[in-house]
Amino acid sequence: MSATTIPAGAIRARLTARRPLVLWIGFLVLVMAAGGAAFLYQYANGLVVTGMRNTVMWGQYILFFMFFVGLSAGGLIVASAGRLFGVRLFKPITRLAVLAATVAVLLAAIFILPDLGRPERLLHIFLYPNFTSPMIWDIMIVIAYMAMSAFYVWLYVRADLARRGSWLAFGTGTSARALAREERLKSAMAWVALPAAILLHSITAWIFGLQISRGFWYSGIMAPMFITSALVSGLALVILLALVMRRLGRLRFGDELVAFLGGLLGIFIAVLFFLTAAEFLTAAYPGAPKAAAFERLLVGIYAPLFWFEVAIGLGVPFVILAIRPLRLNPVWVAAAAAIAILGIFVHRLNLILNGLSYATIQYPPGVSVGVDQGLGSSFALSHWYIPTAVEWLVVAGVLAFGALVFTVSVLILPMQEPADH
Amino acid sequence: MPLDRRTFLKGSAAVAGAVAGTALPVIDRPVRAGRDYDVAKSLPVDRVVRTTCSPNCTGSCGQLAFVRDGIIVKIQQAADYPDTVYNPRGCMKGLSYINHIYGEDRIMTPLIRTGERGSGEFREATWDEVLDRVASEFRRIGEAYGWDSIHVFGQVPGSGYIQKGANYRASALLGMTHGTSFDFNGDLPMGMPITFGVQNSDHEAKDWANSRFLLVVGANPVETRIPDVHFLFDAVERGARMVVIDPVFSGTASKADAHIRIRPGTDAALGLALVHQILVDGLADLDFMRTYTDASLLVRTDTGRRLRQADLLGDDAEDRFVVWDEAARAPITIGTEKLGMPPGVVAALDGTFEVTLHDGTQVTVTPGFALVRAEVGRWTPEAAEAVTEIPAETIVRLARAYASEKPAAIFMGGGAFHWYHGDLVGRAFGLLATITGNIGRSGGGFSVYVGQYKVRVIVAPWWNPGGRKLKVVPSIYFLRGRTETMHPAVPYPEAGFKALFCSFSNMFIQSPDINRLHETLRELEFIVVADNQMTDTVAWADVVLPATTWYEKLDLTATPLHPFLQLQQAAIPPVGESRSELEMWREIVRRIDPGLAAEYFDVTEDDAIRMILEAGADPGGPTEGITLEQLREGPVRLNVPDPDIPFLRQIRDLEPFPPRSLPASLEATAAFLPTRRIEFYKEEDRFRELGETVPTYRDAYDDRVHDPAEWPFVLLSSHSKWRIHSTYSNNPWLAEIHGGRATVLIHPADAAERGIGEGDPIEMFNTRGSLVALAQLSDAARPGTATLAEGWWTRYFRSGKGVNELTSSVVNPIHEVHFVPNMWAPSTGWKDCRVQIRRAPEGVS
Amino acid sequence: MSEPKVSPIDALPAASRSYGEIGPRSASPHWGMVVDQERCIGCWSCAVICKSENDVPLGTWWNRILTQGDELDQPMEVRGGALEMDWMPLACQHCENAPCVKVCPVGATYYRDDGLVMQDNDRCIGCRYCMIACPYGVRTFNWGEPVRPTPHSTGMIEVRPVGTVEKCTMCVHRLAEDQVPSCVWSCPTGARVFGDLNDPASRVNELIREREGYELLKEAGTKPSVHYLPPRRKNEL
Ligand SMILES: Nc1nc2c(c(=O)[nH]1)N[C@H]1C(S)=C(S)[C@@H](COP(=O)(O)OP(=O)(O)OC[C@H]3O[C@@H](n4cnc5c(=O)[nH]c(N)nc54)[C@H](O)[C@@H]3O)O[C@H]1N2
Ligand SMILES: Nc1nc2c(c(=O)[nH]1)N[C@H]1C(S)=C(S)[C@@H](COP(=O)(O)OP(=O)(O)OC[C@H]3O[C@@H](n4cnc5c(=O)[nH]c(N)nc54)[C@H](O)[C@@H]3O)O[C@H]1N2
Ligand code: SF4
Ligand code: SF4
Ligand code: SF4
Ligand code: SF4
Ligand code: SF4
Ligand SMILES: [Mo]
Repeated sequence: MSATTIPAGAIRARLTARRPLVLWIGFLVLVMAAGGAAFLYQYANGLVVTGMRNTVMWGQYILFFMFFVGLSAGGLIVASAGRLFGVRLFKPITRLAVLAATVAVLLAAIFILPDLGRPERLLHIFLYPNFTSPMIWDIMIVIAYMAMSAFYVWLYVRADLARRGSWLAFGTGTSARALAREERLKSAMAWVALPAAILLHSITAWIFGLQISRGFWYSGIMAPMFITSALVSGLALVILLALVMRRLGRLRFGDELVAFLGGLLGIFIAVLFFLTAAEFLTAAYPGAPKAAAFERLLVGIYAPLFWFEVAIGLGVPFVILAIRPLRLNPVWVAAAAAIAILGIFVHRLNLILNGLSYATIQYPPGVSVGVDQGLGSSFALSHWYIPTAVEWLVVAGVLAFGALVFTVSVLILPMQEPADH
Repeated sequence: MPLDRRTFLKGSAAVAGAVAGTALPVIDRPVRAGRDYDVAKSLPVDRVVRTTCSPNCTGSCGQLAFVRDGIIVKIQQAADYPDTVYNPRGCMKGLSYINHIYGEDRIMTPLIRTGERGSGEFREATWDEVLDRVASEFRRIGEAYGWDSIHVFGQVPGSGYIQKGANYRASALLGMTHGTSFDFNGDLPMGMPITFGVQNSDHEAKDWANSRFLLVVGANPVETRIPDVHFLFDAVERGARMVVIDPVFSGTASKADAHIRIRPGTDAALGLALVHQILVDGLADLDFMRTYTDASLLVRTDTGRRLRQADLLGDDAEDRFVVWDEAARAPITIGTEKLGMPPGVVAALDGTFEVTLHDGTQVTVTPGFALVRAEVGRWTPEAAEAVTEIPAETIVRLARAYASEKPAAIFMGGGAFHWYHGDLVGRAFGLLATITGNIGRSGGGFSVYVGQYKVRVIVAPWWNPGGRKLKVVPSIYFLRGRTETMHPAVPYPEAGFKALFCSFSNMFIQSPDINRLHETLRELEFIVVADNQMTDTVAWADVVLPATTWYEKLDLTATPLHPFLQLQQAAIPPVGESRSELEMWREIVRRIDPGLAAEYFDVTEDDAIRMILEAGADPGGPTEGITLEQLREGPVRLNVPDPDIPFLRQIRDLEPFPPRSLPASLEATAAFLPTRRIEFYKEEDRFRELGETVPTYRDAYDDRVHDPAEWPFVLLSSHSKWRIHSTYSNNPWLAEIHGGRATVLIHPADAAERGIGEGDPIEMFNTRGSLVALAQLSDAARPGTATLAEGWWTRYFRSGKGVNELTSSVVNPIHEVHFVPNMWAPSTGWKDCRVQIRRAPEGVS
Repeated sequence: MSEPKVSPIDALPAASRSYGEIGPRSASPHWGMVVDQERCIGCWSCAVICKSENDVPLGTWWNRILTQGDELDQPMEVRGGALEMDWMPLACQHCENAPCVKVCPVGATYYRDDGLVMQDNDRCIGCRYCMIACPYGVRTFNWGEPVRPTPHSTGMIEVRPVGTVEKCTMCVHRLAEDQVPSCVWSCPTGARVFGDLNDPASRVNELIREREGYELLKEAGTKPSVHYLPPRRKNEL
């Protein structure tokens, strides 16, 4: 139909209706631009513009890498669990979940870039991979996982796209045969996806867990820890996004699902509690090599962070989710999810800081900081890492990019799983 | 030069940085790293020049300067000593000197003061302008007040006979008074001239390795003799024991078998107690005392002077002394031409005897040693414990350990005798070494390696042009004016001092009692400073002459620690507009008296070196058979015995003491020992007036100025491992290690008492001055002692000029009994200093 | 300026050159070093010459001297209230089982046949994983453009690019011309000895045997090529 037939008022109405969205996207683009600029500035001057030094040589960027790897867990769990254990309840949020996973792991991958001293040499990873390095394993699995989730998303929306005749369907049709193949693929995917997820988090854990040089990390429990914390944050993210989408009227599902997810989240948190306790019993055992690091965590300079993580970050959500009436209230569940995500973030923060901020050999004057200190010693036994504005901007930029990708995706992709037909 | 990231970024590709990735590795090539290493070699250089590191340090270490594109890119030890045990020498400071040649503080052009004195405000000037200025001011002052009112001060000549010698040469020609360094630096161990008649005594460093017992007294070789300290470890590896006497847990203490903490300033009491115990145990070598010392020479109890043949026979044999022959039960006169005793004579060391003088009067006489023993008798281990705070039984064990090992070496440092009564410390330990027969023995001896004082060649033709005599005034008199007790032979200027030419020294912070010094400076009409670094002394100059470093000029050097003569050789042309001292003086003298200049300054460094080598070339001379050409190739051993040990001739051939101390004449120093033997009894009047005829102990002088009750801390301004005095204070590499801030080491208990925490700014003060530095708390400190290592530039303090605001410049009259510059002259007592400490008042911190 | 360039090793005076020669070695040497804590006086000459030799910028040290005490050059109280202090020079241990090599994603740090662990600054992507992995904390990252006290570059090798990791190379560029590492050359007390660990007769092996040499953080299983000789027991007065 031709434009003239549309009443001018309608158009204006439409635009105003869309203004929040326009503003939102504009905002994201702006933040991305800032992030990009910060990254270029960092690239030109070197990582000296970050808060990192030879003492704490990994910071914000790796932290967010770990964090987002974790966040990506939720999607495939929900999706494949839904399939494998036939939890039909998940159906309405499956698409959302896998999309969230895809975006999360994409961001995780991106966060590696600004952490590199020579990002332009990224290709070296593929030109000269060294397969004894957990980092290589991780990069491989991250890529695989990313592809898988992307494909998974497509698999779920393909049919609807095809119906709309969108080219994104890549010519696949909606014939019974096509649909049948889709079903088969979905089941197959479910079988790979779950182990893939487990692997992803285990390997990411090993990046740290295999380092004998870092007593605090060197532990077999690292992988289970990562998996569980991933489950917590991943699921929490799905819950949050789902509720937001429902609020925006882009998704329909009942509160019983919310309650169910909440319950699940509660269980994950419980497991995480157990693992943490288990680890502390072994490691903080007086005289154990790691005792010092754990002491810092329990009563030392990291105590506030740690106890925040345990008490507030995990404790509060657990309590909320344990109380049935609250669990039935989406608002409370949302709150619990949000806090849990924060909790896991702090959990990761502690892991990095406490793992690195003390020189491995505690004799004065310590390790050379790596940056001219002007007048004053250029050695340190410990380092209190504080991210700089540059790091915050870069992170913000990447986050904005993620938000944009997600927003656009939900705009162009049909998120609502059609009621079974 | 590989293209760097910035330039790359400008090159458009910026935004696509990551995308362009693949292309990028190219940008770093040629990379000196990684795979290339399998074939990589050092980057090529233009040349490598052999020279000698020459701050005012005892090291005198051969260095190689690696020059690339006319720039020194590395300094590393030459390690080319023919006596390979001396390789490689050197220390971290010498290796990092590159940062001073090219560093921010390097003076590049002549400067003329524009602001207040000390403000450090200057304008750049041309050489002609400053040279004319110096010449005209000197002429004006010289003619108005006499040339001797111009004081030329330069440090430790041993580390640069030619360039530092230029100061002397010019002074001699123009009649300016030249200052002293060895005594002014407090490094002159007055116990040596008093006891042995020499400026100092030191075994060459490699001889330490031959020792069976090492007694390190107030020295910190681990930090202040870095190139040679390994010889101590060599001895230890061969089974020797090492004992360190130090109030503070020093680096050397950490290597010792036993570290004995003594109360500062009381070493004389320890030395006497050790001798006491050795006599008690019967471990003393009394024949050695008879043979080589004045022990048996009779002293008149009426006058306190020695009995002479003249007293007995009425002849004029003032130089023949008398011993009591136990065998003949009669006095026997002996001469000074030879040590030892006439055959058959058993000289008494004890008892009193009646002798009849030529005029018939009866006098009671007693061997000098009886008087020494009487004093030593008072110093039981218990008596010493009361003074030194060392447990008596520790003293007993130490005495037995030392006396039962032969050879045993005493290694004394500034800490022990940088005291008003430091001469008494030297006399006590001289007695200890002698009474155990350790003198003149390889692996034994009583050595002091304090200061690069040693003139080991015949410098007269260069320092005393045309045989002109130098007017040398101990710089302590420049600082504080003449004393009533000043020796009449000191050529103190009639009109006093009106101008100063300071070179090779950071005099205005390195001198004692600098607030008093700055009073003196205020009176001066003209101050010239030659240096290559923007020091605190330079800041006070009216005219600044930019000097070359020792990598930019030619000189001849030697040190007490090893017997090798070496050259400083220019590796690069002078940096900026800097010039050598010889050049400066040539130009100044030419402007004052062209005739003199033409006759005496129209010479090159080569000529000067040849003069010196030739002067010592005669048989037995120090430079016999040494040529400039040889020296250009590397170090050449002086013509000295191997190992080079003091008093060999005296001990082996019974030659009379003292051996000659260059550059003084033998006559000059022989006057210190009328008996021509090692003297433990001093008969000169002032020794008697002050009751110091025999080795004894006196409380620290500053205790009289600052009542210990009110001023509880003894301030030890030791020498820092990180600097040579103030040189290297501003070295960025070293500052990265030690932190670059002046710190005071005190005991945690003292700190707690005053509410002082680690790193707090603390005020340290006494009646002479005050400063603010940061507290460093450690059990290494002794309660009641504070250590603030000398040499920090003013800029590294929170406030105050530096540690020498607190130190004292008082003169000990004993040091004025005779006068030979740098040999018997007032020696500064740096460590004889009391202070109070408190948390710094707010504001300064 | 115009002078033809020569190898700094060829330009050495004969005596100096022979002082620095590595000497006898086995057919396939495994280079190693022995550090004698009895002789070490914590003077940092080895660390300073390292900085100078390798044009290591301000803020960065490939070699450093730890004080086994309360603070830099200060002793610590031991049993019985006595004070003790020892120094422990520390640079890359050139581990035979090197964590840094294991974890490097791009093989930018690798083994040489002669036992040295090398760093390829062309390949390094600057992820700093090797720094995490090294138990000795001897690796250091080029955070920014090199800052020097002198207006020009110094030393005998070119400075490494920004954004890559560097560390002690055992002065491999000197080994290539049969000269001992610079820190060995410059140690004034002879506390550092360089040689072939594969040659049973070598001085290094001799010392390790006679003086009960030990490996730092042995429990980490890194098999260092650098061995330490413990300080002697003191014999009391
Ligand atoms: N690194 C370095 N080396 C140097 C120098 C330098 O500035 N830096 N300067 C050179 C020169 S010119 C000199 S003069 C020498 C000086 O060097 P040293 O002869 O070693 O003298 P100090 O360092 O002043 O003091 C040495 C030790 O004496 C201790 N001490 C202090 N008071 C007493 C005391 O009353 N009794 C005893 N038994 N010990 C005490 C101090 O704690 C210190 O550990 O070093 C030379 N070498
Ligand atoms: N409180 C306290 N004070 C002390 C001591 C102490 O124990 N306690 N120790 C004393 C002792 S032992 C000594 S020896 C003195 C040393 O006192 P100084 O010798 O005055 O101290 P330095 O800092 O070595 O001064 C040497 C100066 O010469 C400059 N210089 C270097 N090369 C050249 C050159 O080629 N030409 C010229 N013109 N200048 C050059 C350096 O830059 C430096 O400024 O310090 C004394 N001061
Ligand atoms: S500073 Fe002294 S010890 Fe160090 S290298 Fe120079 S001369 Fe030798
Ligand atoms: S140079 Fe030698 S003595 Fe000095 S710190 Fe290094 S190893 Fe120790
Ligand atoms: S010491 Fe560290 S850097 Fe050196 S090889 Fe071992 S692990 Fe690698
Ligand atoms: S920083 Fe360079 S050398 Fe170290 S692990 Fe990463 S890529 Fe390898
Ligand atoms: S071997 Fe070379 S690179 Fe390694 S510490 Fe010694 S001097 Fe530095
Ligand atoms: Mo001195």
